[in-house]
Amino acid sequence: MPFDAHDDVPDEALLVLFANGDSAAARVLALRLTPRVMAHAYRLLGNRAEAEDVAQEAMLRLWKQAGDWRHGEAKVTTWLYRVVANLCIDRQRRARGGSVTLDAIPEPADGRASAVEEMQEHARAEALQTALNDLPERQRQAVVLRHIEGLANPEIAGIMEITVEAVESLTSRGKRALSAALAGRQEELGYVDER
Amino acid sequence: MSMSDKDQADGGLDVFFEAARGHAPIPSPDLLARVFADAETTQQAGPSTAPARVSATPDGLAARLYRLLGGWPAMAGLATAALTGIWIGTALPEGLIGTAEAAYLVDITPEMAFDLAGGDF
Repeated sequence: MPFDAHDDVPDEALLVLFANGDSAAARVLALRLTPRVMAHAYRLLGNRAEAEDVAQEAMLRLWKQAGDWRHGEAKVTTWLYRVVANLCIDRQRRARGGSVTLDAIPEPADGRASAVEEMQEHARAEALQTALNDLPERQRQAVVLRHIEGLANPEIAGIMEITVEAVESLTSRGKRALSAALAGRQEELGYVDER
Repeated sequence: MSMSDKDQADGGLDVFFEAARGHAPIPSPDLLARVFADAETTQQAGPSTAPARVSATPDGLAARLYRLLGGWPAMAGLATAALTGIWIGTALPEGLIGTAEAAYLVDITPEMAFDLAGGDF
């Protein structure tokens, strides 16, 4: 089957094709899912190199799981978010006390906005990541899934294996902590006086 | 950019979340190459070499039997055979073979039954 013929195929169906040896399905899945996995790992870890290792490991687990995938039980992305979170938590617990580097925020895309705006956006992303790094693991995970990945609370509850009420509590506490951490940087980050 | 009412109601965090979404880290070519290589290796190895999944609870008899029989492909074949048998048993036209004839057929070629069983009875 041609490579681009898989573009509209759902993840779960691609996984079946992958398990049956379809190499084009493997490439489409890798290109579709690796960026999401990588971004999620980065937001939970705050370190690009570690996020790449986690992303590779999570995708490897997906490949190995393909033959035993239970259809209808969970979305592929839901499963991956859970695997990524577990891998990140394992790493953080192993390296407890280690410093987190913030040298890996990607460069702004050319031509998307003015240089000043891009610098401000970059600074906000970096400031948020710094504040996220200081949140407790579960609050960070819930806030990232809800407000950056844009998932609904029931799906987050499924990923984190907790109730929807617990998700709401975690995101609420997480946002309060983020607001407190970022409150002193509003003027510096240029969204108060910039009208 | 200025804070909207919604931003203010949400503690002004939305602009930060928006910035984070706009600055998602992009996988390096090296990472993608490693992911592709893992996929290829896994496909070439085939399903039988994939490591067994760790189970939180001991496998039951049904799970062991399921694996012993060859997993879902074998179970699908068994299910198809069973359903075919049920269909034959329920859908065979009554006019084609009457009850008496059907009973007679059981005994009409007993040597064939032995041959099918493959035994030297």
